[in-house]
Amino acid sequence: MIEFRNISKVYKMGEVEFVALKGVFITVQKGDFISIMGPSGSGKSTLMNIIGCLDTPSEGSYYLEGKNVSGLTFDQLSTIRNRKVGFVFQNFNLLPYASAYENIELPMLFNGKKGAERKARVDELLEMVGLAPWAKHRPTEMSGGQQQRVAIARALAMDPPIILADEPTGNLDSKSGHEIMEIFSQLWKGGRTILMVTHDPAIAAFSKSTIRLLDGAVQANGIPN
Amino acid sequence: MRMQLLHLYWNEFRKRQKKTSLITFAIAWGALSLLLLMSFGRGLSNAGSVSFKGLGSTMIMLTRGQTSKPYQGLPRARRIHIHMEDLELLKRQIPGIAMISPEANNSHNISYRGKESNRSVNGVYPCFAEMRSQIPAAGGRFINDLDQEKARRVAFIGWNVAKELFGDSNPVGKEIRIEQTPFTVIGVMKKKQQSSMYQGPDSETVYIPFSTFCQIDFQRFLDRIHIRPADPRDALFMENQVRRVLGRKYRFADDDANAVNFWNTIRDYETGAKIFKGIEIFLSIIGALTLLIGAVGVTNLMYAVVKERTREIGIKMALGARRRHIVMQFFLETFAIFFKGTLWGTLIAFNIVSLVNLVPIGYEDFGIKAYLLRPIFSLDILIVFLVVLCVLVFVSGIFPALRASRQNPIEALRYE
Ligand SMILES: Nc1ncnc2c1ncn2[C@@H]1O[C@H](COP(=O)(O)OP(=O)(O)O)[C@@H](O)[C@H]1O
Ligand SMILES: [Mg+2]
Repeated sequence: MIEFRNISKVYKMGEVEFVALKGVFITVQKGDFISIMGPSGSGKSTLMNIIGCLDTPSEGSYYLEGKNVSGLTFDQLSTIRNRKVGFVFQNFNLLPYASAYENIELPMLFNGKKGAERKARVDELLEMVGLAPWAKHRPTEMSGGQQQRVAIARALAMDPPIILADEPTGNLDSKSGHEIMEIFSQLWKGGRTILMVTHDPAIAAFSKSTIRLLDGAVQANGIPN
Repeated sequence: MRMQLLHLYWNEFRKRQKKTSLITFAIAWGALSLLLLMSFGRGLSNAGSVSFKGLGSTMIMLTRGQTSKPYQGLPRARRIHIHMEDLELLKRQIPGIAMISPEANNSHNISYRGKESNRSVNGVYPCFAEMRSQIPAAGGRFINDLDQEKARRVAFIGWNVAKELFGDSNPVGKEIRIEQTPFTVIGVMKKKQQSSMYQGPDSETVYIPFSTFCQIDFQRFLDRIHIRPADPRDALFMENQVRRVLGRKYRFADDDANAVNFWNTIRDYETGAKIFKGIEIFLSIIGALTLLIGAVGVTNLMYAVVKERTREIGIKMALGARRRHIVMQFFLETFAIFFKGTLWGTLIAFNIVSLVNLVPIGYEDFGIKAYLLRPIFSLDILIVFLVVLCVLVFVSGIFPALRASRQNPIEALRYE
């Protein structure tokens, strides 16, 4: 489903070049639940962003569902981000001036889904993350755990096969963190492919296997949990 | 674009609207300036052409002159006078003369029941009235063909003459004396605005039939001949024809511009109209520049807004927003600011124009009031306004919107 062939990413900051990923080969099968671990600055987020088509590799090829992604236009990549992947961020990244309902609805608006269909889907997702009574509330009126659950619901709006979660529990207390992980487990059992960045071995324990990064290179791959 | 998306954009815009109030004011001010300058400019133009027509709209006026170059052995600086016979000559030789009238004048003593005044008395044909925009006030008339034919002792008087001799009472039917000869007043000139004149304003003048004038005041020469061409576009052509016909008779060169003098109101009117149009356009440009300053302000603000919302743009991109979704949001915000400002500006402008138009102006207020107090909104002004506005909205909105949409999603998401 996801295949990296010799992916490198170099950031240029003026004269200075910084190699964030070097020669990465990874393969992710449909239905995998993989943790990505490694010290800060080792390239975990960069890896996730490339998988999610938010960023493009400097070198190498990335195949998503068998198709080479390099060379696609911004709008084509937008379509992939919209339909194939759902992002969950450490800091939730909800829109501050939109209610929980509107945040969850947003990916469907970029796709032109019909009104009735959208409403049914948002209601279903709010129910699933246990936030039906919070539909009209703004992110600032919710706890971190609640916000992250809205973010998960939003990531699922277009029913994407892949969930990308970059330290989803990093800003949460352990109780909320475990609630989030319960949801991920459910999603995985439902057949979704999940990649998750984490520092916490207790969180990584929810996943099936682990990839370890060090200084932009894969140090170990497929460590079963 | 989905309604719900517009709704979200609207909310995001509304939450920050306080920051836009100053710039909205700038746009309102700009729109107000542009509208007012255009409508006052148009009022100016109109007043210009109205008072220009006070002298007469389509006519060529001919007066005596002096040759400026030798011709067929004759020296320069010969005086050329025009005579009554020339009238017939011109009529015979130049087709396309719709009206022609002689004019002779002299200063005479006018009296009515002991009140006396020294006025210019002019002998003219009936068609003079139309060429020189002389309309009788209600209850009176101008000189007619029968007056001319029978050399009747009738007079058509300017409104200031009427005021001086008759005060507020009606002069029509009363008998005045020109020197010692009795004349019946048949009409008083309706008030008009007149910006150009040759011997004093028409309001100060007494008109009598040309035939009658010849009886009371013998003159060898005519003072003026007034001609109206059938087609105003022939004005210049006709001027040249008249010069050629008279040149043959009085022996001066066809291209001698000073042998006889012309006052071509048709040509003057066109030049005058062009000058006023020029002023109008100049004022409009100043107005447009004022609005442009507002528009530059909007662009600046929008760049700041784009920066401030970098993270939100990144979030939308991560969720699958296409370029046009981002472009549209910022473009619509620009539009909203312009719309609000323009609405205010237009409302205020319309009110000012309506109020100013309520100020009364008299016919003697030739100058400043007639030019400044009759601003006009017309369809073409509104169309120009809308076009300028559309161009400014587009230009000031598109660049910030494009910058927003061209951001790198990663950079946008990392932005603090
Ligand atoms: N947009 C960027 N510009 C410059 N340097 C970057 C950028 N994104 C990441 N980096 C650098 O690349 C390295 C890897 O970043 P990241 O993938 O975020 O690491 P991790 O998520 O493992 O902490 C870091 O040292 C970071 O400073
Ligand atoms: Mg990171």
